[in-house]
Amino acid sequence: MTNKKVKFKIYRKDPKISNDYRYDEFDVPMEEGMVVLDGVNYIVEHYDSTISVRWNCKAARCGSCAAEINGYPKLMCKTRVEQMGDVITVNPMKAFPLVKDLVTDVSINFEIDKKIPEFTPKNMGKKPWTIYDIDVNRAQEFRKCIECFLCQDTCHVVRDHNTKYIGPRHVIKAAALDMHPMDVLDRSESLTKDMGLGYCNVTKCCEEVCPEHIKITDNAIIPEKERAADNMYDPIMMLIKKLKNKSNRDKK
Amino acid sequence: MNVNDFKNKYIPSEFLEFNPRLYAFIIMLIVGLSAFLIFPVKEISGYIDPFYSPTIFILPFVGLYRLTCYAYRKDYNRHIFKHPIGCDLKNRLDSMKRTYTGETSGLFKIENLHRYFLYVSILIVPFFYYDFYTSLFINNIFVFRLGSVLLLVNAIFITLYVLSCHSLRSLIGGRKDCYSCMSYGAGIKNLYDKQSWLNKHHEQLAWISLVFIIFVDLYLRGLTAGMPLDITFLKL
Ligand code: SF4
Ligand code: SF4
Repeated sequence: MTNKKVKFKIYRKDPKISNDYRYDEFDVPMEEGMVVLDGVNYIVEHYDSTISVRWNCKAARCGSCAAEINGYPKLMCKTRVEQMGDVITVNPMKAFPLVKDLVTDVSINFEIDKKIPEFTPKNMGKKPWTIYDIDVNRAQEFRKCIECFLCQDTCHVVRDHNTKYIGPRHVIKAAALDMHPMDVLDRSESLTKDMGLGYCNVTKCCEEVCPEHIKITDNAIIPEKERAADNMYDPIMMLIKKLKNKSNRDKK
Repeated sequence: MNVNDFKNKYIPSEFLEFNPRLYAFIIMLIVGLSAFLIFPVKEISGYIDPFYSPTIFILPFVGLYRLTCYAYRKDYNRHIFKHPIGCDLKNRLDSMKRTYTGETSGLFKIENLHRYFLYVSILIVPFFYYDFYTSLFINNIFVFRLGSVLLLVNAIFITLYVLSCHSLRSLIGGRKDCYSCMSYGAGIKNLYDKQSWLNKHHEQLAWISLVFIIFVDLYLRGLTAGMPLDITFLKL
């Protein structure tokens, strides 16, 4: 253990009491391998137990401790103190309503989730279904999502502009369903028409902050934009699809 | 339709904001294009300038291929339009005060047709190899010179850039949901995976190929100006 101390600045606000906010400062002894969540917990234990902070697993698996650390969306449990400099400012995620201090209400995401048409399999008949690895390994990447909503927090469309865009986390959910071999729906058109996919300008901040390193833009958003182009903008592809559908109908 | 309606419908707000970065970009574009037209260097000692291959009139399509490319979209939406400039939440220069329609309206809707510019670009690629081939012969004598090496490297970078395209990725397999249900599904998935690997480097390839083609153009302009830049490695 060294004698070094790190200054923590913690955002404080209780919207139930007042709309004012302040930063409380604390000196925290630095320990080797310490993460920002350790620092915050130290403060709660030793200085001020009224600070609200949400965390569960401390292993980057539950996504509860998402925050803005020195102006960058990160998980508190995965951010090493020694990499953040001598002053560490911790803010709550700004894209969501504040509950208190570092805790935000992310429940809007569960409402958005309901807008995405659910898994609709081809035939409910013969079970168990045989599903091959080559058909599902693309979507497996999206299953790594821990629902920390850091990508939603950093997305400038969700954060700064009042549009109907559902945000990157939800596009990967839709893409995972669309790429499922048993699913019959194509969600790209409704993503574009009703869920604002066209507002994403592929600037990739979501990819940059995702603690699971999911290639959100390259592997989910752009493929959905390309599928939407097939269905809505590309006249040749639209014609081919129409003819295919017609011949399928005729066969039946 | 009055002027305001026209503006709202076709001209994204990004073009109407005061933005020195955008003006600088437009000026660079105008200066560059005028240079091509006022000082053409179509051919010099057997080398064809890649910007004029097969014809300078193809340039608008190639330009649109790059302008609608997902990699450059990220770059100009960040660094020219500042929507946002970076992910650091303090210095993004995007805000609630700015109007934003993304790729949903006006000029930016053209992004959805990236694939058509891809098709044109694919058709052009063989010309670069043809230019390399013709540069190897002067009066039926085989010569291998530095300029030919540059033309070949340029052709390879452009090929890799075009082949790593996101639209191509969708075209060759990304749009499929069930490979095991298709004939040749395993082969298609294999090809898709290989292209996906290349696609990871699309942004680097976009920039390398752009810088290199400009470098080759400047090199050939240097030769035209009489600079002793070429080296002959072999003459048969
Ligand atoms: S790439 Fe799209 S979804 Fe991701 S942060 Fe940027 S605008 Fe938002
Ligand atoms: S995609 Fe990544 S950043 Fe977004 S919620 Fe899931 S794990 Fe978090």
